Amino acid sequence: MKTNAFSTNAKFLEAQKTIFARLTEKYSTERKLEVDKLNEPVLWARNPDDVKILVKAFKLDDNLKVDFLSDLTAYDNQDGEDGAGRFVVVYQLYSTVLHTRIRIKCLINQHQQVQTISDIFVGANWLEREVFDMYGISFAGHPNLRRILMDERFSGHPLRKEYPIKQREPFNNNIDFHLGASPLSVENTVTVNAPEGEK
Amino acid sequence: MSVKNLETDEHRLSDFYNPNVLINLGPHHPAMHGTLRVMCRINGETIEDATCEIGYLHRAIEKLGEDKTYHQWMVYTDRLNYCSALNNNIAYAMAVENIMSISPTERCQYIRVICMELSRIIDHIVCIAANALDIGAMTVFFLLIHWREQAYSMIEGMCGMRLTTTYARIGGMSYDLPDDFTEKLWKFCEELPAAIDEVEGLLNSNRIWIDRTRNVGVIDRETALKYSVTGVCLRAAGVDHDLRRDRPYYMYPDLDFDVVVGSNGDVYDRYLIRMEEMRQSVKILKQCNKKIPSGPIWVDDKRVQIPEKLDVYTKMEVLIHHFKIFMEGIDVPKGEAFTCVEGPNGELGFYIVSRGGPKAWRMRVKSPSFMNFQVFEHTVKGGKIPDAIAHLGSMNVIAGELDR
Repeated sequence: MKTNAFSTNAKFLEAQKTIFARLTEKYSTERKLEVDKLNEPVLWARNPDDVKILVKAFKLDDNLKVDFLSDLTAYDNQDGEDGAGRFVVVYQLYSTVLHTRIRIKCLINQHQQVQTISDIFVGANWLEREVFDMYGISFAGHPNLRRILMDERFSGHPLRKEYPIKQREPFNNNIDFHLGASPLSVENTVTVNAPEGEK
Repeated sequence: MSVKNLETDEHRLSDFYNPNVLINLGPHHPAMHGTLRVMCRINGETIEDATCEIGYLHRAIEKLGEDKTYHQWMVYTDRLNYCSALNNNIAYAMAVENIMSISPTERCQYIRVICMELSRIIDHIVCIAANALDIGAMTVFFLLIHWREQAYSMIEGMCGMRLTTTYARIGGMSYDLPDDFTEKLWKFCEELPAAIDEVEGLLNSNRIWIDRTRNVGVIDRETALKYSVTGVCLRAAGVDHDLRRDRPYYMYPDLDFDVVVGSNGDVYDRYLIRMEEMRQSVKILKQCNKKIPSGPIWVDDKRVQIPEKLDVYTKMEVLIHHFKIFMEGIDVPKGEAFTCVEGPNGELGFYIVSRGGPKAWRMRVKSPSFMNFQVFEHTVKGGKIPDAIAHLGSMNVIAGELDR
C-alpha cells in the first residue's frame, strides 16, 4: 500500500515495532494495548488519573522519545462500544526523533475529572479548553478552564451526541461590558429548541 | 475588573501615563486577517500582557462531520483553510481511504501531490503578500498576487472552481487533468521563480524590512516544541521536521526536495522559509510534471468508485449504484485512524472514529492554526503593537481553520 509510504518503509516498520515492543514490555500490564488501522499503537489508560502518569513516563522514556503533543481530543461513547464510560479522551503523542505516534485513550464518566497535562505540554492548554467546551469534561489543575469556541453564555456541550444539531441559542446582543475574567452569568441565556421532528 | 472599577480607579483610561491601558485588536480590524481578536494590556506602546479570543467563525464543522455522510462532508473541508482548499480535500480523502484500506492509483497520487504543492504555493503567496502589505511593502502584494491568479486559473481548469475546490473524492478525483495542463504547469514552474527572485531582491536586504522583521515575534525551539507549533513556525525555530519527508505519503519518497530550516524563529526567518519552500514546491511540481503516468484516476473498488455519468444515464445497475453512493453514502468499516499531512501552515490532521456505516462517529480536525495562534498570545508580549501585526501576519493563522 503506497498511500502511506511509511507503512511499507523498512525504517518505519522497525521503529513502529520497537515502540510496540517497548509498550508491551513496560506499559501493558493491566492496560489494553491495541493497534489502529494504520498499525499505530493505542494504549488505554487504567483510569483518568493514569493518563498523566503515562504521559510523564513516555516523555522521560529514552526508548519512546515522545516530545510532542500532536492533538488532544475526546469523543462520545454514548453507545458504550468502547467500554463502560461516557466519554473517551484521546491523546495523540508524537516523537520528532523517531517519527512514531502513540495514542493514549482513557474512558471517563460525566462527573469524573482528568488530570491536566498542560504543565507537561503547555500546548494542551487550549486543547483541554476545547474538550471542556465541546464535551463538558473538566481537567483538574487546568489554569484557565473556560469555554473557548462557544460563547461564555452558551449552555450545553455541543459535541455530545444528545445535543441536537439544529438547536439554537440566541443571545441578547446588548450585553454589558465585561472582560473574560468576570464572565456573565448563564441566566442571561435563552434556549430555543428545534421544532419536533427536525432533530 | 469592570468599567466601574476602571472609572473609579486612580488611573483613568484617559491618563497618558496609565500603565494599564487595554487595547483591543480585532476581530474586525483589517490587519487581523479574519476574525481574530487579541486583547492587549499596553504600557506606552509595549504590549505587556495579551490574551486571544477565538470562536468568531465557529461553524460546528466537527458536529456536521457526524451528521453528514463521508462524501457530503468533503465540501466542508474547503471551508477550513480557504487559502489551500485542495490540501484539505486531499488530506480528508486520504484519512477516509486509510480507514477503508484503499490506495489510490499512481496517476491519482501524482495529481494529488501536484494539487498539494500548488496550494502550498498559493498559501505561502497569500501569507507573504499580506504580511508585507501589513508592514507597508505594497509592491510585493501586487507582484505575488498575480501568481496566485495564475495558480487559480490552473485549478479552475482542473475542477471548475477557484477557492472552494472540492476536487478530491474518496478513492479518486472528481475530474482528470485537462489536456493543456502539462504545458500550463510547465510555464508556471518556469516563470514563478523569477517572481520569487524579484521579491527577494526587494525585501531580503531591505533595511526597513529587516528592521521590522528581525528579532520580531521570536518563537524559540523550546517554546515551539512545548506549544506543539508545527509547520513553517516550527522549522523557523530550528526544528528539522517535515511530514512530507519524515512520514512520507503518496509520491513524496520518490521526489527530490529539501526541507528548509531556519534558526532564529523570527518573522524574517519565517519569510525566508516560505520563499524557499515555494522554490522547493516548484521543484516538486516539475518532477511530477515529468513523471506523471497515464492511467485511471479512480481506484478499482466498487464501494467508493463514482460511476461515469454516461453510464448512469444509460445503464440501470449503474444508476442504482450511483444513487446509493449519493443518497446512502459510502459504508466505511469500523476502526479509527489519525492521518496527518504537512499542510502549508503545519500538521493538518483528521482523526476519524468510525463505528461502521456512512457517517463518522467522530470527525476531529487537528488544525495547525489552532496551535500556532495559542503560542501567539505568549510570544507577542514584550513587543510593540506594530510588531504584533507583523508577527501575526507571518504565522498565517486562518480563522476558518482556527475556529472550524
